[in-house]
Amino acid sequence: MAATAVGTEKKNYLTALKEAIAEEMARNPHMICMGEDIGALGGAFGVTDGLIAEYGRERVYDMPISEATIVGTACGLCLNGKTVMVEMQFIDFISCGFDQIVNMTATYHYRTAGDVSMPMVIRGPAGAYGGGALYHSQMNEAWFANSPGLKIVCPSTVYDAKGLMKAALRDPNPVIFYEIKDLYRRREIEEVLPEEDYIVPLGKARVAREGDAITIVSYGQNVYHCLKAAENLESEGYQAEVIDIRSIVPLDEETIIESLKKTNRLLVVNEAPMTCGFAGEILSRMTEKAFEYLDAPPMRITRMDTPVPWVKPLELYVLPSVEKITAGALKLIKY
Amino acid sequence: MATTTTDTDPAQAQGTDSPVSRPSDRLTHDDYRELLLQLYLARYFDVRLIKEKKRGRLRGTLYSSHNQEAILVGSLYGLEPMDWISPIHRDMPAFFLKDFKAGWENPDRMGMSIEEVCSQVWGKATSPGRARDNWSHIGSKAKRIIHSTSMLAGTIPAATGVTLADRLNGLNTIAMTFNGEGSTAQGVFHEAINFAAVEKLPVVTIIENNQWAYGTPTHYEYALEDFARRADGYGIPGFVADGQDVIDVYDKVMMAVEHARSGKGPSIVECKTFRAYGHGDHDDDRADRYRPEEEVVEGRKRDPLHVLKERMISMGILTQEEADKHPAENKGAGEVTDADFPPKVVEYLTKGVQFAIKAPLPDETEGAMWVFKED
Ligand SMILES: Cc1ncc(C[n+]2csc(CCOP(=O)(O)OP(=O)(O)O)c2C)c(N)n1
Ligand SMILES: [Mg+2]
Repeated sequence: MAATAVGTEKKNYLTALKEAIAEEMARNPHMICMGEDIGALGGAFGVTDGLIAEYGRERVYDMPISEATIVGTACGLCLNGKTVMVEMQFIDFISCGFDQIVNMTATYHYRTAGDVSMPMVIRGPAGAYGGGALYHSQMNEAWFANSPGLKIVCPSTVYDAKGLMKAALRDPNPVIFYEIKDLYRRREIEEVLPEEDYIVPLGKARVAREGDAITIVSYGQNVYHCLKAAENLESEGYQAEVIDIRSIVPLDEETIIESLKKTNRLLVVNEAPMTCGFAGEILSRMTEKAFEYLDAPPMRITRMDTPVPWVKPLELYVLPSVEKITAGALKLIKY
Repeated sequence: MATTTTDTDPAQAQGTDSPVSRPSDRLTHDDYRELLLQLYLARYFDVRLIKEKKRGRLRGTLYSSHNQEAILVGSLYGLEPMDWISPIHRDMPAFFLKDFKAGWENPDRMGMSIEEVCSQVWGKATSPGRARDNWSHIGSKAKRIIHSTSMLAGTIPAATGVTLADRLNGLNTIAMTFNGEGSTAQGVFHEAINFAAVEKLPVVTIIENNQWAYGTPTHYEYALEDFARRADGYGIPGFVADGQDVIDVYDKVMMAVEHARSGKGPSIVECKTFRAYGHGDHDDDRADRYRPEEEVVEGRKRDPLHVLKERMISMGILTQEEADKHPAENKGAGEVTDADFPPKVVEYLTKGVQFAIKAPLPDETEGAMWVFKED
C-alpha cells in the first residue's frame, strides 16, 4: 500500500483496532465512545483499554445494559454533530438494539433527503469456531445488509483491521464493524504496521492469494480456511485465487469479476447460515454480471441453516471447514 | 397502590423482638437445617466447579454465585412444585435447588437432578438441552424452568406468558425470575413488568443487586438508592431484602409470593449483596483493575453461611461446636477444601460430577437437528 514508514514491532489484530480507535479519538475532538464496560475495564476484550484514562467520562461512556438506548443515544449525538463509536460487548447483542439501528439510524440520511448523516460505527466481537455457542458466535451481517443505509465491514488481517476501522470512523454513514474475536490475539497473523496514518477504503476487496483455477470469495475467519484449502489444491496442481472482500456493503464487484475472467469458477464461503446469507447475494450478483465468464455453476459453502451449537463436534459439523472448501473447489474445478 | 418495604434493619429482620408476624415464623428447626445444607451445597457447587475448571476439565465461563447463595436458596425455598422459575448466568444452583424440599434424590421432584446439571456443565448428551447451548442456557418445560438465552432480561416476557397460560388453564402458579441489577436496564424488563402489572400476573422479579454489572458499578447503571423503588413506577410492591441473610430473603420473597398467589399481581424483591469474584472466571484476575480492594473486603464480610449459623446459634438450633465442624464460611474458593463441607453435600455433587464425566458427547450430526419440529 501507499504507506512507507513501517514500525518494527509485530502487532495483533486487537492492538490494531485499539490503535485505530485511540488515534481517531485524538484526531477528532467530536468523537465519543459508548458501550458496556468500556471504561475502567477497557471492554470485555480490551479494545478500549486506556481510553477513559486519556479522555475521561466526557467522551467515554460506560453505559447501562441497554443496547437500544446506546444506539439511540449515539444517533442523537450524531444528529447533533458528534461521531460515535458504539461497542457491542458481543455482536450477538446487537439484536437488542435492532430497531434503533435499522429504522432510526440507517434511514436518517434517506428520509432527510441528505440533510442528516450518521457518522457512527457499531463494532463488536463476532464469529464462530470458538465454542461460544448460540449467542456468542453470530455473524448476523445479513440482517443489516438487508437494511439499506448501513455499511458493513469485516477485516481478516491486522493491517485491514486498523485501516478499515479508521476509514469507518471517518465515514459519514453508519457502519457495522464485525471484528473476528478468534483473530484478536492470533499469533500467526501478527503484522508490522505502518507508523504513519493510513486507511483501507471501504468497498475495496483484497486478493489474498493469486491463482487461475478457481476464485474463492470470503471474508472474516473463513479467509484463513480458504487459504488452507488453496494449499491443499496447490498440492493437487491447482492454483486458487482467494478474495477477501473486506467490505460487505459496499461490495467490490469489480475485483471478483476481474478474477472470474481468468478462473471461470466461483466458490463463495461464509460462516453465516445459507438462506439469505451474503454468500447468496454474491452468487446472484455474479450470475447476473459475470455469467459469460463462468464455466461451472457457482457454488457456496456456508453454515448449515442452524444456530451455532456449543459443543465442538457439533459446532464444526455445521460450519464451513477446510475439508468442505477443498472438496467443493475440486468439484468446481473438475466440473 | 405502591408500597416499598425497605426494612433491612437486621434486628427487625430477626423477627424475634418484632410483634409483626413473618413468613419465616412458620419455618421449623428442620427447615433451618435444610436451608443451611442448601447454602453449603450451593457454595460447594461453585467452588468445586472452579476447581474442575482450573484443572482444564470444563469449557465456557463460570459466573460465580459465591456470597450470593442466600438469594437463590431463600427465594426458591417457599415455592410450590408447579411454580415456574427463570434463572440466569449467575444462578446455576437454581436448576437443582428448585423443589429441593421434595427430596434431594427424588426423581419426581420439579427441579433438575444434579446429574442433569453437571451433564450440562460438562457439555454432555445427558444434559437437558443435549449441550446445544452452554452453562445456564438450559431449562425444562416439564419441570417449569424457563430456558434463558444470553440476552439479559430476555426471559421476563416469557415469565409473563407462562403465568398467563396457567391462569387461562385455571392453575394458580407463580413465576419467579432472577435478574442481575445491571440487566434491569433492558427495555423488555420494563415492558414485561408493566404488562404483568396491568394484567395482575403473578410474576415475582428477584433482583440480585451485587453492586456490579461486569466492570460497571451501580451508579452508572441507575440513579436510585433502593432499586426496589422502581416498583412504584409500575404500581406494584417492591421489597428490599438483605441478600446475605437467607431468612430475610425468604421473608421478603414470601411476601411477594403470597401477594402474587392471592391474585394481586407482580412485585419486585431487591436482594442486596456483593459479587465476590470477577464477573466470570475469565475476569477473576483482572477485576481489581476496576474494583477497589477495600470494597471487595467490605462486600464479603457477611458470608451467608456465617449469617445463618449465627441466627441458628442464637435460636438454639445449632451449637457453636456444630457450627465449627464444617467451616466453609469466610473462605475463598482457593482455600476451602472438601472437609469444610458436610459429607452429604460433597457426596451429592460428586455423584453428579462423576456421572457427567462418564456421560457421552452428543453426536456431531445433532448440530443440524431440531431446527424445526418434523412430524
Ligand atoms: C443484552 C445483553 N447485553 C450484554 C450482555 C453481556 N453481559 C453479560 S452479563 C453482563 C453483566 C450483567 O450484570 P448484572 O445484570 O448486574 O448481573 P451480574 O453479572 O452482576 O450477576 C453483561 C453486560 C448480555 N449478556 N446481554
Ligand atoms: Mg450485578
